Amino acid sequence: MFTQQLINGLALGAVYALIALGYTMVYGILQLINFAHGEVYMLGAYLGIIVLGVLTYWGLTAYSLGLSLLLTIIVSMAFCAAYGAVIERVAYRPLRNAAKLTPLISAVGMSIILQNFVMLAQGKEYKNMPPMLPTEGFSLFGANVSPVQVFILTASILIMVALQLFVSKTKLGKAMRATSQDRVMAGLVGININQVISITFMIGSSLAAVAGVMVTLYYGVVHFFMGYTAGLKAFTAAVLGGIGSIPGAMFGGFLLGLIENFGASYISSAYKDAFAFLVLIITLILRPAGLFGQKSMDKV
Amino acid sequence: MKKILGAVVLMMMVVVGCVRQDENVVRIGAAGPMTGDQSKMGIDLRNGVELAVAEWNEKGGVLGKKIQLVPGDDQADPKQAVSIANKFINQKVAAVVGHWNSNCSINASTYYHTANIVAISPASTNPRLTQQGYQNIFRVCGTDDQQGGVAAEFVLKTLKPKRVAVIHDNTTYGKGLADFFKQVIEGKVQVVYYDGIQTKDPDYKAVLTLIREKKPDVYFFGGVYPEAGRLVRQAKEIGMNIPMVTGDGVYDPTFISIAGNAAEGTYITFGKDPSGLPTSKAFNEKYTAKYGAPGPYSIYAYDAANIILTAIQETGKTEGTAVAEFISKNTFRGAFGDISFDKNGDVAKAPYVVWKVTNGKFVEMK
Repeated sequence: MFTQQLINGLALGAVYALIALGYTMVYGILQLINFAHGEVYMLGAYLGIIVLGVLTYWGLTAYSLGLSLLLTIIVSMAFCAAYGAVIERVAYRPLRNAAKLTPLISAVGMSIILQNFVMLAQGKEYKNMPPMLPTEGFSLFGANVSPVQVFILTASILIMVALQLFVSKTKLGKAMRATSQDRVMAGLVGININQVISITFMIGSSLAAVAGVMVTLYYGVVHFFMGYTAGLKAFTAAVLGGIGSIPGAMFGGFLLGLIENFGASYISSAYKDAFAFLVLIITLILRPAGLFGQKSMDKV
Repeated sequence: MKKILGAVVLMMMVVVGCVRQDENVVRIGAAGPMTGDQSKMGIDLRNGVELAVAEWNEKGGVLGKKIQLVPGDDQADPKQAVSIANKFINQKVAAVVGHWNSNCSINASTYYHTANIVAISPASTNPRLTQQGYQNIFRVCGTDDQQGGVAAEFVLKTLKPKRVAVIHDNTTYGKGLADFFKQVIEGKVQVVYYDGIQTKDPDYKAVLTLIREKKPDVYFFGGVYPEAGRLVRQAKEIGMNIPMVTGDGVYDPTFISIAGNAAEGTYITFGKDPSGLPTSKAFNEKYTAKYGAPGPYSIYAYDAANIILTAIQETGKTEGTAVAEFISKNTFRGAFGDISFDKNGDVAKAPYVVWKVTNGKFVEMK
C-alpha cells in the first residue's frame, strides 16, 4: 500500500506544483498573491473537457489519443494564457502603484467574477467525461500505476524542467529575474516591465491550464467551484516551498501531495486538509521564509 | 470631510431603504444552499416553494394578502444559516421552508423558535432537529435513524456481507446517518473501517486505497452526491468492485452524471416513488413547464410551503404558535400523499425504500 499511496501522492502533488508555480512567479515579480489563479486552473479544466469533447466528436481521439491530448493541452494553455494576460491588464495593472492591499482585493474580486462567469456560462452542474486513458495500469512494487498517473508525472516534470531552463538560460528569463529583483531598476536599464509582467502571467496561467487538463483526465469531473480549494492548496504549497522561489513551489507541491495522501491513509482521512496546514504552520514557525525561500533578491 | 459626510448619508439612506417594509404581504422564507457545490438542491427547494406561492397568489393569496417569497442562500454553511435566519426574522417572514442541510436547519431552528416562526425543513433528516423540544419546527422528510435502519436491514438481509466499511462526510447529516447504520450492523457483521472524509476534496484515492486493503464486501457512505459521485468513480478506477450503499443525500441525477458508469449498482435509501400518484403528476407537469425536471426535494419543498399556507389560511393568523398548533393537529393532502406529524414534528409515517442505480437511472427495488 505504501507505494500505491506514494504514486497517488506524487500525482496529486504534481498538480499542486503546477498551480503553485503560477502563484510563486507572480509573487516573485509583483509581490502580489494572485487569488484569481485558482480560477484560471478551473478554466483550464473546463477547456480540457470541452476541447476533448469536440475532438471526440470529430473522431480524432479514436484516431490518435496522444495527438488529441497534445492538442487539448495546447489549446487550453493558449486560452488560459490569454485569460492570464487579460486579468493582469484589467485587474492589476491599473493598481500597480496603489497601496499593497488594493490589488489583493482586486484579485479576490476577479476570482469571484470568473467563478460566476463560468457558473452562468457552463451551469451549476458538475460536468463529467468518461475516462480517456485506460484505468487499468501496470504493476510497480505492488502498486497499480495508471496511465493517467504516468502521464501527469512525466508531463509535469518535463514542463518544470523546461520552465527552469527558460528562467535561467533565456534572455526573457533573465529579464524576469531582473524585474523580480528590482522593478524600477530593471525598467531603467531598458527592460519592458509591462511586457515581462504580462509574460509571467501568461506562463503561470498556461501552467495552471496544464494542471486543469490533467485533473480533467485524472478525476473526469469539473465544476465551477473547483478552483477555490485547489487554489488554496497550491498557495499553501507555494508558501511551504518559499513563495517567490520556483524550485520551492515544485518541491512544496509534491511535498503537500505526499503529506495529504500519507496523512489521510495512515492517520485519518477526516483531517486530510489539516495535515497540509499543520505542516505549513510548522514550516512557517521554523523557517518563516519557507523551505527554499531566502531573504535575498533571488526570487523568480 | 464633505465627501465622508456624503458617503455616510448615502449609507444611512441605503440602510433605511432596506428596513422599510411593505406590510400588505405575507412573506415566506425559502432557505437552502443556492450557491456553491450543493447549489442545485437549494434552487430545487426554492423553485418548489415558488411554485406553491405562485399557485396561491393566483387564487388571491392568503388572508387577503399577496404572498411574497424571500429566498435565503445559506451556502450549506451552518454559520451562514444563522445569518439567513436573522435576515428572515428582520424581514418579518411568517414562516420558513428550509433549510436543506441538517446542520444548517439545526443551527437556524433555535432562532426561529425564539422569534416564534414556523419552519418546515423539506430535507434535513438528522433526528436531532425535531428533538430539541421546539414546537414550531417540522420536517416533511424522514429521519436518519429510520433511514439508517432500512439501509442496515437491506445490507444484512439482501447483500449478506461479511465485512463492511463505513465512511461519512463529517457533517451532521452524513456522520449521523453513518452512525445509525453502524449501530445496527455492528456485532452482526465485521466493520473493518470507519472514518470521515473531507467534503469538496477532489481526491479520495488515499482513503479508497486504504479501504481496499481491508477487503470489505460492501461500503456505506453517509453524505451528499458530489462526494458520493467522486467516491464511486475513483473506487472503480483503483479497482474496487464492491457496491456502495448510501442515503437520500445522494438521490439526485447529478450523482450519476458525476460517476458515469461507476454509479451502476449503487444502493440508495429514499422515499417511495411518488410518480404514480395523480397529485404528484400534476406537480411534475407544472414544475417541469416552469423550471425543467424537478429535483428530488422539489416536491417536498412544494408540500412544505402548501402546509404552511394552508395553516395560515385556516387559522387566520401568521403568528407562529397558532400556525404550529394547526400543523401538528391536522392531516394535509400533499403532492406525494397525505402528511401528518407526530408530537416532535416528524412525519407520522416516513417509508424508506431502497433504490438501485440501473442503466443510468434510479430504480425502486421491489
